Amino acid sequence: MRLADRAAPALLITLTLFVFILLYGPLMVPIVSSFFTVSHGAVDWSQPTTAAYADLTQNDSVLAALWTTLVVGAGAVVLSVALGTGLALYYASPRARGRQFLQFIIFLPFLMPPIITGLALLIFFRQVEFERSLLTIIIGHTVFVLALVYRTILTRLQSLSGSLVEASYDLGASGWQTFRLVLLPNLSSAMVGAAILAFALSFDETMITLLVTGTQSTLSVRLWAMMRLGFTPDINALVALVLLFTTVLCLVAVRFLMPASAVAGSDDD
Amino acid sequence: MTEAGILLKLRSVSKNYGATAILHEIDLDVHDGEFITILGPSGSGKTTILRLIGGFTQPSGGQILLDGGDIAAMPINRRPFNTVFQDYALFPHLTVEANVGYGLAVRGTPRAETAKRVADALELVQLGPLGKRFPAQLSGGQRQRVALARAIICRPRLILLDEPLAALDVELRRHMQTFLKSIQTEIRTTFLFVTHDQEEAIAMADRICVMSAGRIEQIGSPHEVYYRPGTEFVAKFFGENNLVPGTLGPVDGATRAIDTAIGRLVCAVDGQPQIAALPAGGPALAVFRPEAVGIGNGAGEGNRIAARIEQVAFGGASTMVNAAALDQPQQVLKARLQSRPDGTALSQGETVAFTVPTSACRLVPA
Repeated sequence: MRLADRAAPALLITLTLFVFILLYGPLMVPIVSSFFTVSHGAVDWSQPTTAAYADLTQNDSVLAALWTTLVVGAGAVVLSVALGTGLALYYASPRARGRQFLQFIIFLPFLMPPIITGLALLIFFRQVEFERSLLTIIIGHTVFVLALVYRTILTRLQSLSGSLVEASYDLGASGWQTFRLVLLPNLSSAMVGAAILAFALSFDETMITLLVTGTQSTLSVRLWAMMRLGFTPDINALVALVLLFTTVLCLVAVRFLMPASAVAGSDDD
Repeated sequence: MTEAGILLKLRSVSKNYGATAILHEIDLDVHDGEFITILGPSGSGKTTILRLIGGFTQPSGGQILLDGGDIAAMPINRRPFNTVFQDYALFPHLTVEANVGYGLAVRGTPRAETAKRVADALELVQLGPLGKRFPAQLSGGQRQRVALARAIICRPRLILLDEPLAALDVELRRHMQTFLKSIQTEIRTTFLFVTHDQEEAIAMADRICVMSAGRIEQIGSPHEVYYRPGTEFVAKFFGENNLVPGTLGPVDGATRAIDTAIGRLVCAVDGQPQIAALPAGGPALAVFRPEAVGIGNGAGEGNRIAARIEQVAFGGASTMVNAAALDQPQQVLKARLQSRPDGTALSQGETVAFTVPTSACRLVPA
C-alpha cells in the first residue's frame, strides 16, 4: 500500500477534528465555566458550583424574558406553519402562477442580514404607525423563519406522489376532504419538525428582535443586555441553558423530518 | 342521442401543451362492458387520453360525451369513473381497508355498509385477510389488487387503468393479466387499459386502439390489428413482419394485386374497404406474417417467391428463417417455421420457394 493511501484518511480525520474543535470549542468555554465560581472577572477553576443556575431561577427579569421568548416562539410557530403550509400547497398546485417570484419573496428575509430585515420591518412599522409590541416581534420572527418552514413542508409535499391527490379526487373527495384526509396526515410530521426548528430559530433570534421590540425583552435580548455590564456567572449559565435547549430541539426536529423507514418488510404474493 | 352499447364518445379531442400537439383530433367510442386497450409507444398520447377521460387534464378542443353530454369540464370528483394509477397511489397512512373504503367514506356512506362493501371488494381481489395492513407491508402484486379494489368499490361506469402492470415482474404480470380479465368479466364493468406492451394488449383486450404520435392508427380486435393491420406502423408494431413495397393493381373481388420488385403478389382485401378503395397505381406495402410463410417446392395456393436462405435461427418452439429474395436481394424475407425434433433440412445458401397464401397477405398504404 502506498504511503499516500494510508496518510489520506489520517489527514481527513485530523481536518475533521480541527473543524469540530473550531466550531464547538468556543461553545464549551461558557458551559464549563458556568459550573465554577467567578471572582474579579476571572474563573476560579478550584471552586465548582451550581450557584449561577440557582441565581437564574430568582432573577425576575430573566424569567420574564423567558416567558416573552416562549410566547413569541409559539406565536411565530403558529403563524409560520399556517402560512408556510398554505404557500407550499400553493407552490405545488398545478395551477400556481409566479412560483419563482413567490420563492424569492419567501427566502429573501431569511437570506438577508438580520439587521437589514430588522431595519426594514422597523421602518415599515413606523410608516404605518404600528406600535411596537410583542406582536411586532412575533411578526418579525414569522417573516424570518417562514422560509425554513415553507421549504421543509414543501420538500415533504414534493416527496409525496402527485397521484395521491389525484387518487383522492378520483375517488370522489372534495378539495377540503383531500387536504384533511390525505395531505394533512402525510405532512403532519414535517409540520411538527418545521415547527420545532422554527421555535429554535425564534428562541435564539436577537438582531431583528432588538429592532422591532417595544418594551419586552426576549431571552437573547436580555442576555445581550446583561453582557454589556461584563461577564457574570449568570450569563454563562444562561448561555449553557439556551445552548442545551436549542440542541435538544434540533435533535427532536431531525427525528420528525427523517423519512419514515418502511414499517415492515414486504411479504411475497 | 345516446347510442345503444356506447358508454363514452370522444369527438375530435385534441390536446396541446403550448405549441406542441399531444393529441390530434381523436375520435374514439368506448363500448359498454368492453375491455378496451389503448396501446402505443411512449409519447404516443395514450396516457393523455386516459387523463382526459379521468378529468386530470382538460382537452384543448373537442368533446368527451357521456350520456350525450359533454363532460370535458366536469370536475374529477364528479365523474362516474375510477382510476388505477401506474404507481397505485395508495394512501400510505391508511390501512388496506381504509384505502379501499375511501371512496365510500368521502361520500358519507353508512359505516356498516362501507364495512360490508370493503370486505366484499377485498374478497373479490383475494386479499380478504390483509385488511389491517398498511400499503408498505404489501408486495407489488398485493398493492396492485388493493388499487383495483379501491377503484371498483364505488361501482364506477368505467375503470381507467394506467399501465398498472408495468412495475411487476414478468411472471406476476402474466398472472395479473389473467386476474384482471377475470375480474372484469365478473363485475361486467368497462375497463379502459393503457399499455405500451403489445403482448399484454393482445392477451387482455376485447378491442385494441393502437396509437402513434398523437393519432389513432387503428382500432380493432387483437386478431384484426395483428393479422389485418391498417397502417404501416401497426404492421411493424406487433412483432416481426414481412413488408414488401410495390404498386397497387386493380381490385378483383376480395383480392387485390400489388406489383413489387420480387414479383406480383396477390393479397386479400376482404373486410378492408379502405384498402380496396386506394387508387390503383399508387404505392402500398404487401404485409404477411413470418408464421404464415411456408417453405417448399410443392405446388401451393397463393404467392410464390424464390429466395436464398441467409440464416436459420433455432428459437425453441419455432425456427426463424431469414432469406433474401432472388429478384431483389435487398428485400429480406422472414419465415417462422415450427421446430421439429429432427431439426430442419434447410441450410444457408440454399434456394427455396417461399409460399404465402393469398388470405395471409394483406396491404397497407405506403
